[in-house]
This record gives sequence, C-alpha cells and structure tokens, in this order.
Amino acid sequence: MSQQNPAGSQQPGPLAEDKALVERFRNGDTLASRALYERYAQPVFRFLSALGVPPEEREDAAQDVFIAVYRGLKQFRGDAQLSTWIYRIAARHASHLGRRRRMRSFLSLLPWHEAEPEPQDDPAEKASDLRLLDRLLDKLSPKKRMVLVLFEIEGLGVNEIAIVMGCPPNTVWSRLRHARAELVKAARRITT
Amino acid sequence: MKWLEQQRADDTERWLGEVLEAARQRTGDEVARRRVWSRLEGLPSGKDLPARRARSLALPALVGALVAVSVVAVLWVVPATRPTPSSVAAKRVAPAVASASQPGSVVPQVAPQVSSATPVRTGRKPARVALAGGAGVELDANSVLSWDAERRPSVERGQARFEVPHQAPGERFAVSAGPYLISVVGTKFHVGVGDDRVSVEVEEGVVEVWRGARSVRLVEGDSWAGPIRGIASPTLGRRPSLAGASLRRASSEDGPARVANGPGSVELTEARTALGEGRPEDALAMLTHCTKGVGPAAENAAYEVGRVLRDGLHRPQAAVAAWVAYRTRFPRGLLRAEADLSILETLARVGDKAAALAEAEAFLARYPNSERRDEVAKLAARVRGAP
Repeated sequence: MSQQNPAGSQQPGPLAEDKALVERFRNGDTLASRALYERYAQPVFRFLSALGVPPEEREDAAQDVFIAVYRGLKQFRGDAQLSTWIYRIAARHASHLGRRRRMRSFLSLLPWHEAEPEPQDDPAEKASDLRLLDRLLDKLSPKKRMVLVLFEIEGLGVNEIAIVMGCPPNTVWSRLRHARAELVKAARRITT
Repeated sequence: MKWLEQQRADDTERWLGEVLEAARQRTGDEVARRRVWSRLEGLPSGKDLPARRARSLALPALVGALVAVSVVAVLWVVPATRPTPSSVAAKRVAPAVASASQPGSVVPQVAPQVSSATPVRTGRKPARVALAGGAGVELDANSVLSWDAERRPSVERGQARFEVPHQAPGERFAVSAGPYLISVVGTKFHVGVGDDRVSVEVEEGVVEVWRGARSVRLVEGDSWAGPIRGIASPTLGRRPSLAGASLRRASSEDGPARVANGPGSVELTEARTALGEGRPEDALAMLTHCTKGVGPAAENAAYEVGRVLRDGLHRPQAAVAAWVAYRTRFPRGLLRAEADLSILETLARVGDKAAALAEAEAFLARYPNSERRDEVAKLAARVRGAP
C-alpha cells in the first residue's frame, strides 16, 4: 500500500495509477471498485491484523473500511496519497474496535457478566514467531502500536503516519522511539 | 558477562528484525478477502453509495450519561450476584401499551427493557420499546409486537422501525414477521406486516430475510415484500420457495437457515487452524463434518473442502468434485462465484482444456456483468492457446 515499503513486499502502483483509479471510480466505472479492492484488500487485512483485530472480527472490519472508502472517495481531495487516506480510515476502525474490545473485557470483570472467550489465533497464520510478535505488540499502548506497525510493517514515512494519526511528526518520532524500546525490552524478556 | 548480555541483545534485535520482515510478507487469508469482496459486490456501486450522514453528538452523549448513571445505580443497589431467571422474569414488564395510550403523548414512549413479555399493542399512538442487547423498536399506531418461541421479537401486525446496534462477533439479531425471519448484524430497518404481505425496508446496513432455508439479502435503500398466506412459519430446515416475493435491486440467494453461528463455526475455525499448522487431513475431516450441518459455517466448509483438497492434499480432481458439490447444494450461495472460478482455475491447471473452456463459457454467460469477466476471458484465451 505504501510507496516506501522498505521490504518491497507490496507492489504499489505509482501515484498516477491511484489518481486514475479514483477518477474511474468517480466516473462510475464499475471495474474501478474491484480494482481498488484488489489493490488494497491485502494491506488492509494485514494492517487490521497487526493492530490486533481478531480473525473473527476482521472480515466485518475490512468490509466496513471499504464501504467507508467507497463512500468517501467522492469527497477525497487528494491532499494525501490514496494509500495514506485508506490507512487513516482503517486505523479509525481498528481503534474503534479496540475500544469496544477493551470495554467488553472490562465488563467481563463484573461478577454477573459472562467471561469473554479467549481470543483465537489467526488460523491463516502458520509461524509461531508471528504469533509471538502479535503478543509482543499487544503489550504496547494502542498509539505506540499503531505507529510501530505503520512504520515497521506497512512501511509508511513519518509524515504519512502523522497524517494517518492526526498528530505532529515529532510526536510520531517520539512514539516510535518508545515503541521500539518497549518492543525490544519485551522481546528480551521472552527470548532470554 | 557483559559480552553475553550484548550477544543476547543482538540476537533479540536480529530476531525482531526477521519477524518484522515476516510480518511485512504476510499474505493473510485469501478466502476471507474473497468473502468480503462477495459481500461488497452486492452493495450499490460506489457512485451510487449515499454519503454517510453526519452524526449528532447529542444523543450518544445523553445515552452515555444515562448508562453511566445506571451503572452507578446498579452497582450501588444490586447485590453482586448474577440475577436469577426468576428475578429477571419478575422485572419483565409490558407497560408500553399503557404509556403509549396516555393522552397527550406525541413522542413515542420509551418502555422499560423487554426481552420476552406479553405482546405490546399500540393504540392510536406509536410506542417505542427497548429490546435486549441495546436494540430498540418504534411501533407505529395499531401495531402489535410479540415474542416467538425462541424469544425473538415478532411483528404481528402494523409497522415497526428497528434500530439494532452492531452485534458482537458471531451474534445476529433476528426479528420474525409472519413466515419470515429477518436477520441483521447491526442496522436500521422497517418491518411492515399487513393482512397478506410482509415488507422490509433497509435504512442502514445489511439485512437478510429468511424463510426456511432460503434468504434474500437487502442492502441500504432496498425494499422487499413477500406474501404471508400458505407459507410455513420460519422453522429451520424447510425449503419453501420465495415465489411471490417482490424485490427491488437485491438478489435472492440460497443459503442455510440457521441465523446465529452455531457450533459449526467453531469447528470451521479449528479446521483452519489445522490447515495452518500443516495438518490438511485433520482439516479435511473437520470440514467434511462441518458440511453436514447447516448455516454459514456449513456453506463455508463446503467451499473450503475444495481448497484443502487442491492446495493441502494436491488432489485437484477431488477438489473440483467438492466445488461441484458445493454449487449443487448452494446454487446461489455467497461463494458460488468463487466456486465457479476455483473449478475453472483448477481445470485449467490440470490441463483439462475442454472442461475449463466449458466452465469459462458458463461463467461468462452466468455473470454477464461480473467484474471478473476480463480475468476469466484471459484465462479462457490462455487455455485455448495452450498446446
């Protein structure tokens, strides 16, 4: 999704392609919505997964993200990259779901409330290392986790992350530094 | 010992670097992505999607304040024990009729929480009834709301507008109306029950209207009406036809009858886990068992059996047979197009040129407006060109 993925794991089209895609969509080209989904579904699913949206909620969340994207494309001004804008929508949805999960787990502490079922591992996930990474990321605060995921996994630049999160770039740097330190510390505790 | 600590620190950082790299390469669950697309495909095209309405903050703030006050009151008054069914039953009330018929009440009245009580009948005034799970219903004048044997709200007569908050994962909110069962995840919709017809109009979200084992899916802006007479009540396992139902823009699709995710969904998740852990035989056994049930889990399992056979056990012919079985059982299922494409791809892969071309032609005829036409046409051209 990003133009700056250091891993080169995605093959994002150039910005012009995104622009053309948006134009096609606005002109009512029915193939454009499919093309947009094909291009961004995998990054959106990966991003939601890295932010801790559990597998049983992920499909609904991704669906909501794309509905919001399709709705909002008419108003998309192009101030930011399309990918950044989609990350911003996905981040908002993930944060909302995270708040709801935390509220549910808080409510489950009430004496008459049924206990929340244990979160299940992602069935599509094979490597135990990745499961371990998810558990390490769970230890970070939501904001630090989001910065770390956007920078380290999704490969966004600091300015883009600042747009996604709606905060100054310096705050992004600061959160990133703390998130990295906490992640390394937590990993050391587990691996040693 | 400092060098040892340094060595450990280096190892940890190297491990983190590797695992973050692996996280960047995550491809995720392709079937999940396809499933989401098949749901999105059913929505109006992007150009026609209405813009989201601006939400007023006043109502959420008021609700939040009320909830906070209620929580404090409950914690203060109620002893820290789980309420027994009898105590809940004792609290059930149905004063909506009385409050609705109070003279001078113009705004629909809010009745206390009702989950399964005596029918609520409105007179000349409308009434609002709070339902379990945060849902609410506004009943028009001269309407009747009752609860069916499974304690689902049931519109007996008149017009009702439901507001259902987004349900927890795996949960569905269902309303019965005549012989139909209306199932939602979270939405706003109207239900009307006349002498001979049931109508549903979707204001927000997605709604499924079920009768027996058949359903129609309605999205925002859709309206639908179906006859009442001569049709069995919405019980599981029956397959009466939807003949006579009129539907605007939404398409009907065969599907399983159970509304909430049953035990099958757990089994399906376990099967996926087994597949993820490299145990395709176990996954196949679980999926095959799951297909014997009903509901979305059975439909998904019927499709995924083919994937396991092809990708996990490298038995492409058996996979094709499994997908053919899927589309026989769910001819208008949610994953029908995926099954068609999977059959086509697999036949092309094993070199069964004639069958692949026949599948491609059938696909193009069946889905003349599919966005995957080009993909299928290219595949057919490749198969034709293959020696």
